[in-house]
Amino acid sequence: MESAEQAQKNEAYLLALRDLLYQLADDELTLGHRDSEWLGLSPDIEGDVAFSSVAQDEVGHAVFYFELLHELGEKDPDRLAFARDLSERKNAVLLERENGDWAYSIARHFMYDVWDDLRLEALTESSYVPLAKGAIKIRREEYYHLLHMHSYFVRLGQAGKEAKKRLELAVKAIWKDIGGIFGFGVYEQKLVEFNIITKPAEELKQRWVKRMQQAFAEAQLTWPDSWEPVQYDGRRGEHSPELEQLLQTMSEVYRIDPTARW
Amino acid sequence: MMSADGKVEYGVYEVFVQKSHADHHVHVGSLMAPSPDLAMQLARENFLRRDSAVNLWIVPREYIYTTPYSSDFFAREMDRKYREVGGYTENGRLWRLFKEKTLTMEEIVSHIEET
Amino acid sequence: MTEQERLELFMERIRRGEKIEATDWMPDEYRQLLIKLIHMHAVSEIMGAYPEKEWVPKAPSLRRKLAIMAKVQDEMGHGQLLLRVVEDLAKPLGKNREDLIEDIYHHRVKFHNVFHMEARTWADAGVIGWLVDGAAIINQASLLSTSYGPYARVLKRICAEESFHMQHGENIILALAMGTPEQKRMLQESLDYWWESLLFFFGPPEVTPAAERMLYYRIRTLTNEELRQKFLDKYVPRILSIGLTIPDPQLHYDKELKRWIYTMPDWEKFGEIVKKNNGPKSRERIELRRQAHEGGRWVREAMLTKTAV
Repeated sequence: MESAEQAQKNEAYLLALRDLLYQLADDELTLGHRDSEWLGLSPDIEGDVAFSSVAQDEVGHAVFYFELLHELGEKDPDRLAFARDLSERKNAVLLERENGDWAYSIARHFMYDVWDDLRLEALTESSYVPLAKGAIKIRREEYYHLLHMHSYFVRLGQAGKEAKKRLELAVKAIWKDIGGIFGFGVYEQKLVEFNIITKPAEELKQRWVKRMQQAFAEAQLTWPDSWEPVQYDGRRGEHSPELEQLLQTMSEVYRIDPTARW
Repeated sequence: MMSADGKVEYGVYEVFVQKSHADHHVHVGSLMAPSPDLAMQLARENFLRRDSAVNLWIVPREYIYTTPYSSDFFAREMDRKYREVGGYTENGRLWRLFKEKTLTMEEIVSHIEET
Repeated sequence: MTEQERLELFMERIRRGEKIEATDWMPDEYRQLLIKLIHMHAVSEIMGAYPEKEWVPKAPSLRRKLAIMAKVQDEMGHGQLLLRVVEDLAKPLGKNREDLIEDIYHHRVKFHNVFHMEARTWADAGVIGWLVDGAAIINQASLLSTSYGPYARVLKRICAEESFHMQHGENIILALAMGTPEQKRMLQESLDYWWESLLFFFGPPEVTPAAERMLYYRIRTLTNEELRQKFLDKYVPRILSIGLTIPDPQLHYDKELKRWIYTMPDWEKFGEIVKKNNGPKSRERIELRRQAHEGGRWVREAMLTKTAV
């Protein structure tokens, strides 16, 4: 599928593609939004500046995915970002959770970044060419995130004492939601069949576990047992009150007049 | 490192940016970081949020050796025109006697670039 | 060389317009004045992130969201650059980054009055980006010719980035000024709220003894009032051009005196805000900075732990 026009001619293809794009866009927007909440609050000034760039990158990636959706006949990117209901949001619940402490934010980011890297890799040869092209670019930008988060993750673990304890608590909290990041939602099978994504979710998950176990070893952390099924499945539009609050805040000004130019 | 009174104290790193392969690294400022790898990562965002680059150096401040500012170290008081283009302005006048012009580096470079 | 001779040589350099460097000999008074000024400048950048930060999560479009993040990030970045300048100056006095940040919540360093105020609406975020930044840019541009080299160099970088901030602020304001009646109302209401703070920004008109010494050492080159006049020169016509009313019936340009006449704001109120940290948001924002710094201490300590690689 070279273009939006072609994709729009195949109903089943379009349905699956759109659903995946919403997952990608919502993941990035939600995490970027959470990241931006660290502005002015990071442990040191230089790190504050760096973390904000990560936040901007994530929102920038969301913009890209929303633009793809718009090309496919969905509403304009701002409407998609600011005016969709809670039940229409497809991000993994892990990413909507409040930031917690630096250990939680770093660990969550790192774990998501590794997943995102694998998912992007599986999109670089997507049958939907505009998505494949974007995935290559986005993956290059994500390199820095992975590097940066990995540095913190490993160092906090290796430092022992309070840092390690906090990191262990963070992992424990993340484990409640981690199951929700894997998987491509209700159209998973179709997405793979259509080669929109070139690897099944299960295979990516196995690779994620391998890479993460390595990082845990570096950080001198014990690998926890397997995770429980998630309480909310974000990929199916189920979300925590934390996302509801986030969306309230995010759209506060937008809602004053959604037709106005701000 | 921790200072004697137990205060957290990151190291100072000087940051040098190489804009393109045709440029040398240029000093752009300094930052505080806990380790060289973090200094490198932080330098990218603290100094390259807008500009592009092909390479980055970070150097612990203590490895920089420096001249004093106000000393005679840089003193060059006497005429050194003999080593500068400006010292040979008479060539133009002399070449005119032979109905020719001074050859310049720019002229050679642009001639070579001509295809 | 006697102390007196050294001082005379130093002042000769200043008068010749030479730049002083961190490793040069300098009179204690010069060092102290620089620390006072640049520390306040650095802390104002960092504390200045908070009022706008409150609007980062609420920015009303994806483009605005990205732009305001980038802008607040730049302010933190400017704080970083300026702190490095102060750190090098304060090092011989045994102070480091930790001390300079702690000074904020121990009330040992002031920051600009505007950052003690509440940012109540999106229009406030816009007015901060346009006029508060505008005032800061006037101030920073005037400091480009400062006698202290390291300060001049970071100001050059800061001013280059501020040129993006100017466009960012103007863009938000123009959208509101050309928008719905409700947006226009928000904008006027915001200007009414910020006007006094903008007049406060440059400080009282009288030249204090400390300011006089800064002028003597050419750390600064313009007085508070000269800066305020320059600000009014550049911004009053623009404010009026988009149909806003400036909430000061006295305000006009006196062609004979060649200066703007304005209603003197209440300078006691200004002192209360800046010197005593008694502005509407002073305590809350200082507390945020304290939490960020104290709350992040375990991270900084952990990052310094020597580990087997």
